[in-house]
Amino acid sequence: MSIMERPVFVDDKLREVRQSGRLEYRSRSLPTWCPGCGYFSIVEGVTYACNEMGIAKEQAVVVSGIGCSSRFPFFVDLFGFHTLHGRVLPVATGVKTANDKLTVIAVGGDGDGFAIGGGHISHAAKRNVDITYLLFDNGIYGLTKGQTSPLSAVGLRTSTSPFDNPEQPLNPLMMVLAYGASWVGQAYAGRPDHLREMITKAIAHRGFSYLHILSPCVTFDKTSKTYVNLGLRVRELPSGHDATDLMAALRQARDQESLAIGLYYQESRPTLNATFEQLVAKAGGGR
Amino acid sequence: MTAHHASPSVPPHRYVIIGNGVAGNQAAEGLRSRDPEGLVTIITNNRLLFYNRYLLPLLFRSHKDWRELQSHSADYYQKHRIRVIRDVRVTAVDAGRRQVMLAHKEPITYDTLLVATGGRSYLPEELADSRHLLNSFGTYEQAMAVKKALPDRGTVVMLGGDMIGLDLARTLLSIDCRVVLVTHETTFWPHQVTPEVRMEFLNVLRDMGMDVIDGDAAGGVTAIEPGTAGLPARRVVFRQGGDVYGDVVMPFYGLVPSVEFMMGSGTDIERGILVGTNLRTNDNHIFAAGDVCQIWSEQEHAYRFYYGYQNVRAMGAVAASNMTGGNEHFAITQNGSLRRDGHGHIDSSFWAYD
Amino acid sequence: MKATDIQIALCGSAGDGTIAAGDILRNAVARAGYRVISFDVYPPEIRGFGKCISRVRITTEQSYALKRQSDVFVSLDDSHAIPHVGEVRPDGAVIFESQPVATVAEGHHISGHIHPGHIPYGIPLRELSEKSTGGGRSRNLVVLGYIAGLLGLAAEHFLSIIEKKFTKQGSEVVSRNQAGFHAGFQAGAATFKLDNVFFTPLGAPHGSEQVVMLSGNAAVAQGCMDAHLDTFFGYPITPATSIMERLAVALPKRGARLLQTEDEISAMAASIGAGFAGARAATATSGPGLALMSEMIGLATMAEVPCVVFVSQRGGPSTGMPTKTEQSDLNAALYGSPGDSQHIVIAPTNVEGCYRCAGKAFEMAERYQTPVIVLLDLYLSNRYETVTLAVSGPPFNLNANKPRPRLEAGEVYKRYALTDDGISPRAIPGDAGCMHVITGLEHNELGRPSDQEEMHAAMSRKRHDKLLGALQHPDFTVSKRFGDPGRVKVGLLSWGSTFGECLEAMFMAQAEGIPCAAMKVVMLAPFPVQPVADFMADCDVVLVPECNYEGQFAHLVQGILAKPVVRLSRVPGSPMPVEAILGEVRRLARGAVTAIAS
Repeated sequence: MSIMERPVFVDDKLREVRQSGRLEYRSRSLPTWCPGCGYFSIVEGVTYACNEMGIAKEQAVVVSGIGCSSRFPFFVDLFGFHTLHGRVLPVATGVKTANDKLTVIAVGGDGDGFAIGGGHISHAAKRNVDITYLLFDNGIYGLTKGQTSPLSAVGLRTSTSPFDNPEQPLNPLMMVLAYGASWVGQAYAGRPDHLREMITKAIAHRGFSYLHILSPCVTFDKTSKTYVNLGLRVRELPSGHDATDLMAALRQARDQESLAIGLYYQESRPTLNATFEQLVAKAGGGR
Repeated sequence: MTAHHASPSVPPHRYVIIGNGVAGNQAAEGLRSRDPEGLVTIITNNRLLFYNRYLLPLLFRSHKDWRELQSHSADYYQKHRIRVIRDVRVTAVDAGRRQVMLAHKEPITYDTLLVATGGRSYLPEELADSRHLLNSFGTYEQAMAVKKALPDRGTVVMLGGDMIGLDLARTLLSIDCRVVLVTHETTFWPHQVTPEVRMEFLNVLRDMGMDVIDGDAAGGVTAIEPGTAGLPARRVVFRQGGDVYGDVVMPFYGLVPSVEFMMGSGTDIERGILVGTNLRTNDNHIFAAGDVCQIWSEQEHAYRFYYGYQNVRAMGAVAASNMTGGNEHFAITQNGSLRRDGHGHIDSSFWAYD
Repeated sequence: MKATDIQIALCGSAGDGTIAAGDILRNAVARAGYRVISFDVYPPEIRGFGKCISRVRITTEQSYALKRQSDVFVSLDDSHAIPHVGEVRPDGAVIFESQPVATVAEGHHISGHIHPGHIPYGIPLRELSEKSTGGGRSRNLVVLGYIAGLLGLAAEHFLSIIEKKFTKQGSEVVSRNQAGFHAGFQAGAATFKLDNVFFTPLGAPHGSEQVVMLSGNAAVAQGCMDAHLDTFFGYPITPATSIMERLAVALPKRGARLLQTEDEISAMAASIGAGFAGARAATATSGPGLALMSEMIGLATMAEVPCVVFVSQRGGPSTGMPTKTEQSDLNAALYGSPGDSQHIVIAPTNVEGCYRCAGKAFEMAERYQTPVIVLLDLYLSNRYETVTLAVSGPPFNLNANKPRPRLEAGEVYKRYALTDDGISPRAIPGDAGCMHVITGLEHNELGRPSDQEEMHAAMSRKRHDKLLGALQHPDFTVSKRFGDPGRVKVGLLSWGSTFGECLEAMFMAQAEGIPCAAMKVVMLAPFPVQPVADFMADCDVVLVPECNYEGQFAHLVQGILAKPVVRLSRVPGSPMPVEAILGEVRRLARGAVTAIAS
């Protein structure tokens, strides 16, 4: 609500950003995304979060798959691993397993995460590996110039569904909730202030945090997930929503017409690395 | 020439021979040459292929591996397609089903069976409890056990002293062992000797260097005991008191035919399996040959045993012939008298082999 | 005195305890100080009545292969053993059950099948087991005892191995099995030994080394531990699984981590993630898993991430023959990843080599910043050998990273800096001021995506040239020649598990007077061109025996050296018989020239 309500002057904004210190986290490479792409605000959100949380740059790793969103690591001055299509979560799991101290952020698109990489989410969630998974959902394959994704809306016309997409999209939030992710939230690139707070919370969570970020593809999707369209459909979770109530979270997630943003669900349970240490203790070992 | 012609429609004739000695192997050879298509199986409780038991005393003269005793190489059996099932025990013969039953619960079916199990050394009942302290001399393994137990210039006490034992005894004397002979009615078995001849040849044995103890006079042997410390390993105790020590004690009381498994087969048995001179039993499908059988003697009007390598081998040949439709009759080839050789030493026709 | 060389084969049905007996046997004789090579064959089914064979060759000096013919063959199940009864040497022994529990159909007892040239030992195994243990289940221990008693092996080592093996099942099980062993031992000791096989007493062991009994997979696990593996990610697959199983026990004891992933893709991905983060990381798989990993291996090649992949080959293609051995994944290991994605591929030739290659693989992965594939096969993974380990400690370099120079103020860290040896100093997450992004995209020195022609050419060259250093990697045998020096009639060129058989065949050929040499090639990529070329130049004819249909190694050699070789490519699902190699050597020695022509 913030951006739309009052005018923003570029000079003021730049001053504010510089003073905040978060530019430190931006890389020298400028994002290659299309002008107007929602992903710019996600870079902003991550740099804001790192800055807010005082994360040392060399202690954070951004792991990505393949796709528009997965170019993300090049645009922040953190350690990064631009991996293969669909494999962001197992690689990120390996990074976190190797070094407890690292803040590991996995980023990827809807095709990367729910098509080719769909098999990995459940396992990352079940293990509660202490990483943050930012899923950039633009409902389309952008980097390959506009093909249907598993989160594409019914009726979306793309180059691979020229007679309109007949398939119902997946419900990613219900899936991830059912998988047992210990932190599940949704944000919207068109609400950057809310988005950056959500990113900060997701990173702060100990365990597998899943943040679904709705973001328009301004180039290939002119009908379904546009700023206008999404702006109208996005709502906030009811004020009384209990984030410890999984069934309530599932009920909210079920509504794919009116998309609620906010923290759906959160629980505290041992992370993968904690279970490793329990195992070491059981085995009577130690370094 | 054979009764069983090879033909694709007729299954090959199954010849089974129980026993791996002279008779059995002679028969196997004859069967193979007379019926090239027949299946020839020898069943034996021995571990080794056929070897010449008459060579066993030579083991004491020089080291001999069992391979050097074997009459035929393994190739011979493969070339002649003679199957030898070794280290198995026959428990029974089911004449109705024509099956030999083995101790491991496997039947072996025959069309014609030859029993050639020979004999095993006889042991008087009072010595049964001492069996573990006695050394037999029937097989290569047993001979080697004697050799192992016998120290250099050691003492062997021979009980009885049949011709198998005396054959060993003369070898032992030649390598400077001491041989103590405890006589028995079976001394010189299978020769049947008059008291005069017996006396004469006991003296021959004494002249050869043997210690001869008249066992009968001592009332016979009642027990064998382990020797005590500092003395030889065995003590032989006589009924009338007194004893004699030796490193090895060996019973040589003659042979008894191994026929137990034939009980219940319906075959006529007296002490051995009763056969005619054609070596047929009362069962058309069963023959017997060698030390296990008693052959009808028209002359003596009785069934009698015939011992000796040459006799037994002749029986094997006759059996093979008659099992394949022939009609031959066994005739004695070795006569059975004791004699002296050029050195005045004891000699016997039973010691001849070739 | 003649050196000991006795091979004992135990054959039975699953459930007879055949493999367990083989395991006790090989451990006991190893403890007694003999050298052992041993290989088990068992059915793919977990339950049922499949055939199990355990073969154990016991020698004074380490041997390189099993003999085709055993000296002693044991049947615990005649239906399985009868087809194998011929694999006993002349005058060898066949030990069998003389008191089976049930009636045997005619022709189904092994006694009727034993060749006349073999020595039968019919033993009442079941009866001895029942009398000594109260049950018939200890026949396997009875027969072990019998063998020990017959051949004059001391019982003490067997008894302590039996105790070790069964101690988890309680003292009753231990004493029951020991009683079974005793009963057999007494029977064996009381049996006159007809076989001319002897256990020659051994000298005192060297104090500077310890001899342990390991399977190939156990040696791999030991090598990983001694190289201080930090993280292992794996997905179960025959015949590689036991590497993971062993590490699952060992790693936590050292505070290290193992994760069973959801598939092989994840296992490889996580290994690369951990490698990127600076950990020593590995995974293990077989052919089907390697296929799934190949895209990831290409990523590690492109992004220059150290990681180690153990691949134990089995019969292929596809699911193939999971419990049969084969050397048919060489092509997949060398060329499996799309693009010019050369990485290091090494293949040990024996169990000791499994240990060394495992440890060295981490050095190489780190030093040359590349995935390293260690190619094993089922025969190597599952066979047991005595392995000599240095008492002085693991012979592996625990930090093989290229030292990173200090960055000047304001200097930007170049992850892919072009250097003389092609190796760029590597920073890892946590290194201040060295933030960078690695990628599967072609990139410039900074790691930024670049598809410039010159850059792609330079980076391609870098990725290949840096590996050449591995051919001179310290304390690593890349290739080695054995046998006659100088010019020879027949040269055996071999890789992997088949080399042992080649060496045995070479010794036999030499004994027959055939001038003969053998070369093992341990490093398959990069290829040791010069040593192999030198070797081939010395040979009238070169024979390449390998267990695959296509002659994959022969193809590699011919392609690189442009010289003909004679192929001996077989896919029996079992190790290449020494006799098959020897026969070919003889044939080639007779007419080396015609052989090449044909």
